[in-house]
Amino acid sequence: MRWTILSTVACFLAVSLAAAAWAGPGAAKRLPPHRGLACTACHSRGGSYSDPASKASGAAGCVGCHRGYQAIFASAMGKRDGERRFAGRSWGKMDRQFWEKNCTSCHLTGCLDCHGDPHAISLPKTSDCQLCHKGYYTGWDYSGRAPREDNMRYQRGIAVNGETFLKMLPDVHYRAGMTCGACHGMRSLLPGGAPRGCRDCHRPSPKVLEHRVAAHMERLECYACHSAWGAQEYGTFMLRFRDQSLKEGFDLKPGPSAEYLRSSYLKKQDAPPLGINSRGRISPIRPEFIAYYTDVAIARQGGGENLLLAAEWRAFFPHTVQRGTAGCEACHDNPRRFLLEPPDERIYSLARDGMGLASFWSQDGQRMVNGSFLPAARYARMSAKGPNYKRMYVEKWKKFLGNAGGSSPR
Amino acid sequence: MGATLLLLAVAMIALVSSGCMPAADSGCLSCHRGIEAVSASHHGCTSCHGGDGRAANKSTAHRGLLGGSNPSDPESWEDGCGRCHRYQLERVKSTIMQTNAGMIRNIQLTWEGEDGKTYATDWGKFFSPEGKPFEAAPVADLDNLSGELYRKFCSRCHIGSSNKQSYGAVHASGCAACHFSWNDEGTYLGGDLAVRGKGGHSQSHKMEPLPAMQSCTRCHSRSGRIGYLYQGLYDGNNSLVPTFRGEAGPVAASGLRSLSRIAPDVHFAAGLECIDCHTSRDTMGDGYAYRNMYRQTEISCEDCHGSGDVPPRFRTIARENEEPLRESRSYRKPAAMGMRMVLTAKGRSYSNVFYREGTVWLQEKRSGKLHKSPLITGTPEHRIAGHRRLECYSCHSRTSIQCFGCHTTYDKREKGEDAITGEETPGLFKESEDYRMLYPFPLALNQRGRISPVTPGCQTFVTVTEPDGTNSKTEYVTRFKGSQQLRFAPFYSHNTGKKAIGCAECHANPAFLGFGQHVMEGNSIRGTMICERSNDKPLDGFLLMERGRVKAYSAITRENGRPLNTAEVKRTLSVNLCLPCHGKGNDPIYRKGLNYRALDDTIHRRLLSGR
Repeated sequence: MRWTILSTVACFLAVSLAAAAWAGPGAAKRLPPHRGLACTACHSRGGSYSDPASKASGAAGCVGCHRGYQAIFASAMGKRDGERRFAGRSWGKMDRQFWEKNCTSCHLTGCLDCHGDPHAISLPKTSDCQLCHKGYYTGWDYSGRAPREDNMRYQRGIAVNGETFLKMLPDVHYRAGMTCGACHGMRSLLPGGAPRGCRDCHRPSPKVLEHRVAAHMERLECYACHSAWGAQEYGTFMLRFRDQSLKEGFDLKPGPSAEYLRSSYLKKQDAPPLGINSRGRISPIRPEFIAYYTDVAIARQGGGENLLLAAEWRAFFPHTVQRGTAGCEACHDNPRRFLLEPPDERIYSLARDGMGLASFWSQDGQRMVNGSFLPAARYARMSAKGPNYKRMYVEKWKKFLGNAGGSSPR
Repeated sequence: MGATLLLLAVAMIALVSSGCMPAADSGCLSCHRGIEAVSASHHGCTSCHGGDGRAANKSTAHRGLLGGSNPSDPESWEDGCGRCHRYQLERVKSTIMQTNAGMIRNIQLTWEGEDGKTYATDWGKFFSPEGKPFEAAPVADLDNLSGELYRKFCSRCHIGSSNKQSYGAVHASGCAACHFSWNDEGTYLGGDLAVRGKGGHSQSHKMEPLPAMQSCTRCHSRSGRIGYLYQGLYDGNNSLVPTFRGEAGPVAASGLRSLSRIAPDVHFAAGLECIDCHTSRDTMGDGYAYRNMYRQTEISCEDCHGSGDVPPRFRTIARENEEPLRESRSYRKPAAMGMRMVLTAKGRSYSNVFYREGTVWLQEKRSGKLHKSPLITGTPEHRIAGHRRLECYSCHSRTSIQCFGCHTTYDKREKGEDAITGEETPGLFKESEDYRMLYPFPLALNQRGRISPVTPGCQTFVTVTEPDGTNSKTEYVTRFKGSQQLRFAPFYSHNTGKKAIGCAECHANPAFLGFGQHVMEGNSIRGTMICERSNDKPLDGFLLMERGRVKAYSAITRENGRPLNTAEVKRTLSVNLCLPCHGKGNDPIYRKGLNYRALDDTIHRRLLSGR
């Protein structure tokens, strides 16, 4: 009975302190929310004394108060089913242990992965999320970071958590001081949860010319225009070195497994291509992944190499939001953006390098896993430039130029 | 008896005249049996190589050899090739590929290395293009960081010295740098069994009167990389993939680089080699010592294709001593008297481009294959009023390589080889880099006051580590034209396309004006790839627009070079007011200056109001 009262008080205190910590931007100083709790408030519950926040114990010491949050371990972050399935149907076909060797460094092991020092539990900072959400993965981009090339010649500059990056324009929300948690609350990370959407906070202003286009408002994700850039990797190669001496001549960034080195044919970080996401809306898309495999020892004996194991694209939300956008023609006059590059405008000659695809910017031989590519007929309609498009195009440029073109005021 | 003597005499004459057995060189051939003849006109061994052709042993025979195995080396070219080819040698001594004056000067300008003197690879007396004599100091005397950089990093690409080590970049020194072909390894593969399989030699002893393209790309494969881009090869991110037979691929190149394949230049695709456009004066010089390669080069696109207003010019070969006749002697089909030879931008005759029946033809020098040169003179697309200042390759470049962020460290604790003196001295250079791309590419004004593609040249960040391990400079941006700033250089990538970049593709994308990848916000343009020394300046461009005003913060190298200013940027972007309806370059409105007040006339008002 005494324990029950104590733990009830402890929980009450925890909840109220947590609430204080959530008091929003106005709160001048956050107190560690668990300060004042008895040790046993966390350590005795569920019988796990040494590690009450671990996944192994089901975070028994935490979920007594934070009820239901053990479901985080069944979420995408906890299970990583999507990635696991992809590895299985791509590189896993060549190496059954591929996942274990290359992909297990980023997964939830317990509450403290994000919540920091066990005796000064805190809300996750952006940098906490970026321990895993780095490199090619969304979250790294939020702070204005894009992956560098894999050749060591390009592995330079500042590194955070051992990861170098190209300096890019950070997301407008990041510049305003918002952390990941501002949109991705704890609840939203549980299975079935959803983060705050743009329109939960923003109402598109009809003063903005592009917002007056009904088709834009009905068919586009906000971030199809407002995500300024996105990391894109074209042709992800996993090179397998069963013998370490074969690595000579491959001056590439070391990865988690000594057996493999990763490199990519091309990295870009400009405005990404567009496609249709699972909500049926136009969204940025990118390769995840166009997967190639070479077992160097086998290749040197005349066996196959550069095997194309998957050519998969995903709709994604680059966390690179800006107030501004690209111009109209960046979509309406840009077939490459929709993977409809005309053959005579190809720059990279993949076929001549034995890459198994004619172009990365051609839908042929590639597929979307969470949506679809934009049909060519729909692009043809969109790029036909009807009278309304022309009127608005002129209006947009007039506005941008401040009527500097020499036209007299009306 | 008389008949026997006659027969013997005839046999001797036949043997000697065939070059097989010049009595003076019989000793050479006892070891070098099977060696290829240099050419039909070069007889004997000692006439070029020196040495003792009658000697019975190697050490005696090789005593007095000119330039080791290469009599064309600058050390001995006066007595080697120069004894017969005096006209060529006198030109080559002053050519920019021998003096490397342009590279040295550019490094001085951009690495704070100016000291008021003119330098060349070696000391020499030269004549300026104005005909004034001047002396150049040897670059070994350039006693500052820029001199160190040139000697330890850049000087290997120079026809005056050989490179016998770097895979794919091996070449001889002197005349042989271009006129003897080397394979990637620099291994002799000819019939002389005494040398066969040995490294540090051309692949054959056969001379190439017409240098092969691979001879050019031994050097023209770095920095601007025009030799690669022309062939459709890109050393992009050096990702080393896709692999080739399990090695780094798809094509291995010097410096542990890898090349992937891109669309080649339209001229390459048609079969043209470097020498089919470039004259011998472009490469071997014309006797004057130019300050930069762009001043020595005498050819331009307009020479063969005409400009919007002026067709190609020509001069008829009227005298036996005219250059085209001499120049074309080794061509499959030499030029002949009476031919109307097209003129270069400097007004000299090409030796393989001519008018015939109102058409300009280019004849491949090696094969004799004819190509009809498309003329653009008078075509509406090429008479756009606003495009009069454009270089052809501003629109007709498929791609233009750009290497962003060149981070160079100079560590005095380590030793580096000085390729000029051949000594190892304290101070080792190392480079790392940020990013490379091909497309889109920025435009700015070049030395001719024309709008041209520009490429980083260079965005150098210098770190100098002193012997005690402290950094006296850290990621330092050098001063150029008086202020600390990065530079872009006018550049023709040699990756030309028949199809021009579309009107809206360029006019509506401010990346082409130098803003880099960007977003447009209100009437500002904000870069999205940022220089790590700044919070807002783009790495992949040199302009920012804030509330309608353009700010430039990188210099364009070369005299008269500069980024576009606010008025020019706005004028370029204003064309977007016309483009959605007048979308083709041949639209008559573009042949005179655009009058945007037309948007307010009755027709346009009706169209634009939607009524």
